[in-house]
Amino acid sequence: MSNDRALPNPGWGPLAALPGNPLMWVLILSELLVFAAFFALYAWQRAADPALFDAAQRQLDPLTGGLNTLVLLTSGLAAALAVEAIAAGRRRRARRWLGAALGLGAVFCAVKGVEYADKLGAGLTPETNLFFGFYYGLTAFHFAHVLFGMALLALVTWRLSTANVETAAAFWHLVDLIWVLLYPLLYLLR
Amino acid sequence: MTTLPGPRRLLITWASLMALTLISMASARLDPAARAQALPLWSAGLVLLAGGFKAHRVLMVYLNLRAAGSAWRGAFVGLLALTLTLIAGGYLAARWLG
Repeated sequence: MSNDRALPNPGWGPLAALPGNPLMWVLILSELLVFAAFFALYAWQRAADPALFDAAQRQLDPLTGGLNTLVLLTSGLAAALAVEAIAAGRRRRARRWLGAALGLGAVFCAVKGVEYADKLGAGLTPETNLFFGFYYGLTAFHFAHVLFGMALLALVTWRLSTANVETAAAFWHLVDLIWVLLYPLLYLLR
Repeated sequence: MTTLPGPRRLLITWASLMALTLISMASARLDPAARAQALPLWSAGLVLLAGGFKAHRVLMVYLNLRAAGSAWRGAFVGLLALTLTLIAGGYLAARWLG
């Protein structure tokens, strides 16, 4: 029992050893499993028709995807620094870091929007071929997570508390984590 | 509240994430002429390793999983390794079957 009390979340059974909100970790684990299944499906579909996938992939701009990776990971740093600030009782600084994370999230959305507009303008839609079906499906699913994460960050900027900021930041890092795997899969590996 | 990574560790992690992103982009040979060809295996391996290491750093430092018990760290790292193995398996299958 005394050992359980030393854990970050005493009383949460097997989840007691996880830092932050244990339910957020359940969400992170389930999201990772879902995305892992999609990544595996993509990789094996590509194996069935690599010529089609390679030709279609050449129509993406890997520099844009790379720029968005840098933007999102920097946004993740800002969210992590907001957690540090609120834990130290620096509420104004925490709000500023959350604002920076939100701003960079908006930059990610803007770059993604330009990329979608460019592809759709070129007649490349989810129905174009299987690669673009995966491209739009996976990136739009991730994009929905970005929008939800930004809403969470905005909410906790308003309702500022250590637990709230820690939980919203954890979701935001999940968005980072998925993109870090999605970017090489869709844009780089050929 | 568990022990947080601290600003210094966060900044070092961010710098390594930036560097690894640039390394993976360079390794993927993004000039138009090279993009018409398949990546050499070592380049593809480097891209995957960089992605895997970045995901590991996000888990351990940004998400602070380093503060969790070894069982949870092992579970998440195992899931990450499984995901990368599936991606690499599909990639290698495409190389040799295609």
